[in-house]
Amino acid sequence: MADLLGQLEALAKGAREAVGSAADEKALEDLRVRFLGKKGELSAVLRGMGALPAEERPRVGEVANRVRDEVEALLAGAKSRLDARKLEAELAGPPIDVTLPGRRVLPRGHRHPITRATEDISAIFARLGYEVASGPEIELDWFNFEALNIPPDHPARDMQDTFYVEASTLGDGAPDGSVLLRTHTSPVQIRAMQRLGVPPVRIICPGRVYRSDYDQTHSPMFHQVEGLCVGEGITFADLKGTLAAFARAYFGEGTRTRFRPSYFPFVEPGAEVDVSCSICGGTGRIPVRAQGQAGEPAQTRRCGTCKETGWLEVLGAGMVHPKVLENGGFDPKRYSGFAFGMGVERMAMLRYGIDDLRLYFENDLRFLEQF
Amino acid sequence: MRISLKWLSEYVDLGSLAGGAQQGAPLAPAQPRSAAPVLAAADEVARRLTAVGFEVEAVERVGQGLAGVVAARILASEKHPNAEKLSVTKIDAGQGEPLQIVCGAKNYQVGDVVPLATVGTTLPGGTRIEKAKLRGVESFGMLCSARELGLSEDASGLLILDRGLAPGTPIADALGLEDVLLEVNVTPNRPDALSHVGLAREVAAILGQEVRLPRPALREAGAPAAEAVKVRIEAPEKCARYAARVVEGVKIGPSPQWLARRLEACGVRSISNVVDATNFALLELGHPLHAFDLDKVAGHEIVVRTARPGEKIVTLDGKERALEPDDLLIADRDRGSALAGVMGGGDSEISAGTTRVLVESAWFAPSGIRRTSRRHGLKTEASYRFERGADPGMVIPALDRCAALIAELAGGTVRPGIVDAHPRPHQAPAVRLRWRRPAELLGIDVARDEVRRILAGLGFEERASDADGATFGVPSWRVDVSLEEDLVEEIVRTKGYDAIPETLPANAVRTPVEPADAQVTARAREALEAAGFAEAVNFSFVAERDLAPFADPAATALRPIALKNPISADLAVMRTSLVPSLLRNASTNRRQRVEDVRLYEIARVYRPAPAGAPAPAAEEGELAGVLVGRRSPTGWAGGSDPVDFHDAKAAVAAVLEALGIDARWRARGGAWLHPRLSAEVLGADDAPLGEVGELHPRVAEAFELPRGVLAFRLSGAALVRGARLVPRYAGIPRFPAVLRDLAVVVAEGVEAGAVLAAVREEPLVEDATLFDVYRGPPIPAGKKNLALAIRYRAPDRTLTDTEADAAHARIVARLRGGLGAELRG
Repeated sequence: MADLLGQLEALAKGAREAVGSAADEKALEDLRVRFLGKKGELSAVLRGMGALPAEERPRVGEVANRVRDEVEALLAGAKSRLDARKLEAELAGPPIDVTLPGRRVLPRGHRHPITRATEDISAIFARLGYEVASGPEIELDWFNFEALNIPPDHPARDMQDTFYVEASTLGDGAPDGSVLLRTHTSPVQIRAMQRLGVPPVRIICPGRVYRSDYDQTHSPMFHQVEGLCVGEGITFADLKGTLAAFARAYFGEGTRTRFRPSYFPFVEPGAEVDVSCSICGGTGRIPVRAQGQAGEPAQTRRCGTCKETGWLEVLGAGMVHPKVLENGGFDPKRYSGFAFGMGVERMAMLRYGIDDLRLYFENDLRFLEQF
Repeated sequence: MRISLKWLSEYVDLGSLAGGAQQGAPLAPAQPRSAAPVLAAADEVARRLTAVGFEVEAVERVGQGLAGVVAARILASEKHPNAEKLSVTKIDAGQGEPLQIVCGAKNYQVGDVVPLATVGTTLPGGTRIEKAKLRGVESFGMLCSARELGLSEDASGLLILDRGLAPGTPIADALGLEDVLLEVNVTPNRPDALSHVGLAREVAAILGQEVRLPRPALREAGAPAAEAVKVRIEAPEKCARYAARVVEGVKIGPSPQWLARRLEACGVRSISNVVDATNFALLELGHPLHAFDLDKVAGHEIVVRTARPGEKIVTLDGKERALEPDDLLIADRDRGSALAGVMGGGDSEISAGTTRVLVESAWFAPSGIRRTSRRHGLKTEASYRFERGADPGMVIPALDRCAALIAELAGGTVRPGIVDAHPRPHQAPAVRLRWRRPAELLGIDVARDEVRRILAGLGFEERASDADGATFGVPSWRVDVSLEEDLVEEIVRTKGYDAIPETLPANAVRTPVEPADAQVTARAREALEAAGFAEAVNFSFVAERDLAPFADPAATALRPIALKNPISADLAVMRTSLVPSLLRNASTNRRQRVEDVRLYEIARVYRPAPAGAPAPAAEEGELAGVLVGRRSPTGWAGGSDPVDFHDAKAAVAAVLEALGIDARWRARGGAWLHPRLSAEVLGADDAPLGEVGELHPRVAEAFELPRGVLAFRLSGAALVRGARLVPRYAGIPRFPAVLRDLAVVVAEGVEAGAVLAAVREEPLVEDATLFDVYRGPPIPAGKKNLALAIRYRAPDRTLTDTEADAAHARIVARLRGGLGAELRG
């Protein structure tokens, strides 16, 4: 028995030394096989137990189990030390090149700035309770002009060079009267009033409009957003409040609005609406900081966006003309309302700093990819 | 409208706007005096006019920077010894000693007085005058043209001044050259403001002054005018009044300089004293006038009539114009002498030999003038005003003013009386204003006193009033006022919009519904942008030839909807598909060396409407895209193949998935697509949704694109109809799935879709994914191997291997029987 115990003791001693000097996982595995494997040293010792008297066996068995536990613990401890060292080594290595570009399977998509501006404008009016309405772009003269208090031979038609449609290409359904491409989104005022039939009316209509003018600052197609609010007791003060709120939401808190009398045949009274210049903050001058200079800039330069006036003309507006209310089917004695319109290209130009109208419709990806 | 501030100041006192500077008696023409206070008022005048609705778009200061330019008399002139084109002059510039100056102009005579820029002067154009030697001859200054002084565009020769000017007089003072020109945007409703007096009326109303109208000193002599000419109006509906005066013994010559300069400042060329007098009265009073040579008026008779069939007239611009019966003529006994209210005729034109002048002042109906002006493409100062509405009350004052000016400038006598045909006297309308109406429309109370004061200041005369409101007579020049709302506008225009507070409307709001098409559009955008597409916005009109490949063979319309007056043939018809625009975009981008193009557009396409439709055309939404170039952006992480059909299909599938639409794909799209590499997209019940594929090589060529360009289009209406925008929850499976792979060999002609459909027929199949397509050895030619991962699951129990094996076997049998598939090892 003493012999067997001595062997076990020697085995444990050998294991302690061997495990302590094992350098890697492979060596540990070899040791596990050497000591604890089926043909290992422990098994060999235990095979010798058969020769012992029965009363001695438990004692030897007990020691053998203790030795097995110890060796297993030694191996586990060594394994975890090795793992820790390996992890440490991995973590301590040089970093990867994080500046390599991220892996892209698809390019990023882009939304056209006109759509973006339209969505922004629509969202602001949606929060003010306006629904989006629409109407035809190929429109009857009556909706585009006459219903809006612009009779034939009216000089206000000069303000809008109109594209007319070749009636023979409209097919069998061609209506009587001349057909044109709408010159503004205002005909939707009439169509919306006719469709809704009764107040309240709070609609905006974004859409394409057309005028036969094509040069650096005019595009034969452009976009407007029309707005209309009709009900009982609607006043010019409501128009002012609405557009002032819109201007602050779109151009930023602190934006001021200014209403100037103007003329649009479908409103009375009518106004042009200026907002304080979003570029220079309404001062007309832009601070110029000398290189390396701190504190208040001493010099300013002319603001080209507002041409030094501090104001940007962005909207036309007014109280809906009684004839327009009538043509929409509303009694002007009972109801009043306001209407307004703005050019989306201009709104987008001011928001994104775009300086050339033609860029919008060239669809050059080098332009589109900036949005 | 260009307004001279100095001229304006003759009718209204601007002194109070110039920061307290005093203004004396009205400035008489050609009597120079200091203009400083008037000019100092420029910015304030501009601000105030803008504030009442006359936007001043530009303020231009002229005649400044002329210090150092003096009047100088030419004492002698000799040819330059060394230069053909130059002269050497001796000049009296009031400095005692004559100056020697080399000059290139030829339009002067010795004794003329001309402007001299003395040494040290910097001219408005920036030229600095130095002592110089020109071809060996010394020159001590420069004799100037009007252009060199920044006074007009005239560079034809020296500006010849009045010989009475003392040499040495600074010319800015001497000529009263300093002025401010205002470019005023007069809206089409306010023809009354298209003149100096008209705008002076507005300024006077702002300042609470009375406008000072010119009082012509008309000295009549000789036999009554009525004996010299008869006037007859045959078309009173087009001409409510025609008044004429006769001035005899005139001598046609140039206008005095003050007059010529005034006209030129306002953009009107000086022609002769008589013609200039009509233009002066026009710019002063706003009423168009015309002067005829009375001796060329056949029968000494004016007939205002419509044109006869086939009648022609040669207008002053030298063009012969074929007339229509709607055109109104001023005719004599024999023929037309002028296109009424638009342009005079060559036959009766004032010429150098004219001695007897007939001056016309009339009122023509606006719509007729507009039609004639448009029909003949003739826009004149006269037609511009008549078509907006001339002031019927100005017919006689303008006639008197013009006749007096002619007599003064051209030395004639005015024959007594006016020959006045006036079939339709003007009835000044009256408009009732209820006292509460301003508050109803504006949201602010305006006191009655203030209403009365504002309207009176603008010439509205109160005729009657009661507790409820008052009636106001509209002044003859305010053709734009006929409604109560118009009066409210006058009130708020004068008070200023700043007086109105900001409130928000209190009317009710409807149920906030977002239209289905807006939601569909929004989701489609998101899907396409996630697939790497950039949005394009193209014109709605294209070249007709670009649409040809996209025509719907079933459509009855032969042509797309065309414009009558397109910008060009490239922008002539309304597009029936968005694809051609996108192909042009792809082509343009590739020319700019942008090779990877993914563009989409969502917009309307236009087709003839069925009879009885509410709108003149059928406008339906379309979604289209184009893609060409690499599948993935170039990068370090591996190469990228060019896009093919399945990239385009993926984009379309992404849109359909975002909209909850199940689609089927059927080989071969429209004629514009490659017949082998394209598909039709079908929705529920095989309703067509659109097409996708590679461009037909011929179409690619027509759009200057290489092979391998993919495109798709989907019908907006079909997408809206098929969309399921609200998802339905289906319950997460509670029992485990069994996974089995399946590899089958089928003939090339068997579509993967058919194999997948057959697999999905097995009720226990939850999902099947095609993960490989293989052609080549050991698979025989003409066949392909499809590898599928199949997931089996039962909703109510854990599936046993036996059950899964049985299902798998059923699938294999179905594939073999239906599609001739063979199981592969």
